Amino acid sequence: MNSKITAFIAFVLVVLVQLYVPAKMIWDREDILETGTEFKFQTAPIDPSDPFRGKYITLDFDEPILTVASGQEWENGESIYVTLEVDSKGFARVKAPIKTPPIGSDPFLKVEVDYAWKDDSTKVSMRIDYPFDRYYMEESKAYEAEVTYREARRDTSKVTYALVSVKDGKAVLKDVMINGIPIREVVKANREREEE
Amino acid sequence: MRMIKDLPELLQAGVITQDTADRIQTYYDNKPSGSTNRLFVIFGVLGAILVGLGVILIVAHNWDELARSTQTLLAFLPLLIGQVFCGFTLLKKPESVAWREGTAAFLFFAVGASISLVSQIYHIPGDLSSFIFVWMLLCFPLVYVMKSSMVSLLYLIGITYYAAETGYWAFPRIEFESYLYWALLLAVLPHYYLLYKQKPKSNFMTFHHWFIPLSVVMVLGTVADQTEELMFIAYFNLFGLLYLIGNSSFFTQQKARNNGYRILGSLGTIALLLGLSFDAFWEDLRRGGLQFNEAVATPEFALVLVTTLLAGWLFYMRHKHKPLDEIQPLSSVFILFLLTFALGLFLPYAAVLINLYVLAIGILIVREGARKDHLGILNYGLLIITALVICRFFDTDLSFVIRGILFVSVGVGFFAANYRMLKRRKANE
Repeated sequence: MNSKITAFIAFVLVVLVQLYVPAKMIWDREDILETGTEFKFQTAPIDPSDPFRGKYITLDFDEPILTVASGQEWENGESIYVTLEVDSKGFARVKAPIKTPPIGSDPFLKVEVDYAWKDDSTKVSMRIDYPFDRYYMEESKAYEAEVTYREARRDTSKVTYALVSVKDGKAVLKDVMINGIPIREVVKANREREEE
Repeated sequence: MRMIKDLPELLQAGVITQDTADRIQTYYDNKPSGSTNRLFVIFGVLGAILVGLGVILIVAHNWDELARSTQTLLAFLPLLIGQVFCGFTLLKKPESVAWREGTAAFLFFAVGASISLVSQIYHIPGDLSSFIFVWMLLCFPLVYVMKSSMVSLLYLIGITYYAAETGYWAFPRIEFESYLYWALLLAVLPHYYLLYKQKPKSNFMTFHHWFIPLSVVMVLGTVADQTEELMFIAYFNLFGLLYLIGNSSFFTQQKARNNGYRILGSLGTIALLLGLSFDAFWEDLRRGGLQFNEAVATPEFALVLVTTLLAGWLFYMRHKHKPLDEIQPLSSVFILFLLTFALGLFLPYAAVLINLYVLAIGILIVREGARKDHLGILNYGLLIITALVICRFFDTDLSFVIRGILFVSVGVGFFAANYRMLKRRKANE
């Protein structure tokens, strides 16, 4: 009987951890969505799929090349920080990379160095990876979203961007927009138009 | 139960008395029926796996029309259902293997479904490897708490996939994470040991005998970084180690097909030898592919050291009280290879030596088959020789006549050996 009770207590602990991990994942993201700062990142989606988590579109950002004075080592794959600001068109723009989280109230983002190279003896350039590159969609919509996107790109009057909430270096992708309309809605509207 | 069906016939023929018939009848009536129980376990587990996978697929559809709050609540639904079933099993049916394995297997997939739903709702990036890692960590305790061998097997699949994802397919190779596999593997070994102590003959045990060595064979290569040549030594050591484990008294008492260690060790050794019987690898090696002082600092070198010590130690323990001629030919190949490798760094004869080893092993196995009067072993030896001859067939620098004579002689060997053994069997009957 005693071993049964111990086993059950252990089981309850496992249950709690199993519940805690997804709950914590949800809680952290909700917090960023509620209290974080929103940014728009210009992007270019395509559509692959993941065996367990379903279809998504990969966001291919027009990531800027950052150039800094040499002196520090920047390794590929290293985690670094960038502060964010908004440019004149209303899109996010990253400022110079730093190794430690910035102090102050400016919103910042933890990113990865994709690839760093030396320009000359005084300057180092790097391309960075944003920590949000997947937008999961209902399976039938992912492909249509890609097609819609490609059409939107041919039409220069349309702008695609990712709406991202940022807080304390972490980010949650809220939506992918074409001309201010969520891509999901654009796909739905296209479907309705085709049915008519 | 054929025995019971035959009872009236045996009675009538006067083979057994009424008393014996009654005793046989009561024996079978009182015997706990193992086979129905086993069926329950198999169907319970299969059902749970199918339902669990189904849930994951349904989740993967991504119901993005639902509000985020509804989706979030739904994320916990499969998890809670699985946990309630497991809790019920622990409290009410702790003795039933079918319940424990079935509910634990379902919960395993429910955890996966749950975190994949959260990933979808919040578009969490992370590649597949980090997803699988979290999933395996959350399910690992079920192996012990639910005493579930099925979860242990699923976990082994999961961590193997994780190791391959981080070690083979990720670019750049994620060094630290590809080493985590070994810690994850260690964590499941106590369960393997408990199975060995408590149910050494069970089906789950047999599956573990295959899954564990197979997983290690698949993952060992993730250690390779720059000095890949050394990995051949490591793999020879590993196959030698597996072969030695498979030849321990515990395994030799079991059916041959349950002995994953021996089969993998044997096939792996032969396959590697055949591959290295071509000169290409040795030519590269001689051209200075390996600098000793550089190689010493690599993870591959550490791996070679560890595997050599392990296999060498086991070899010593197994053979210290035995005469030399009782050494199984395949169990000493890793030592021979180590010497050959050292030789191959300088001299051009390594490939020739390897060919001789394969030939010798083939002949020794044929001899063993003949001694034990075992057609399977005999033909395995002949197959090894055939494979060697086929490999040489592709070496264009041998003359057609020599190759032709080789083929004819091996073919004749096949006929002669099998014919002689069958004839001897008939004579003995």
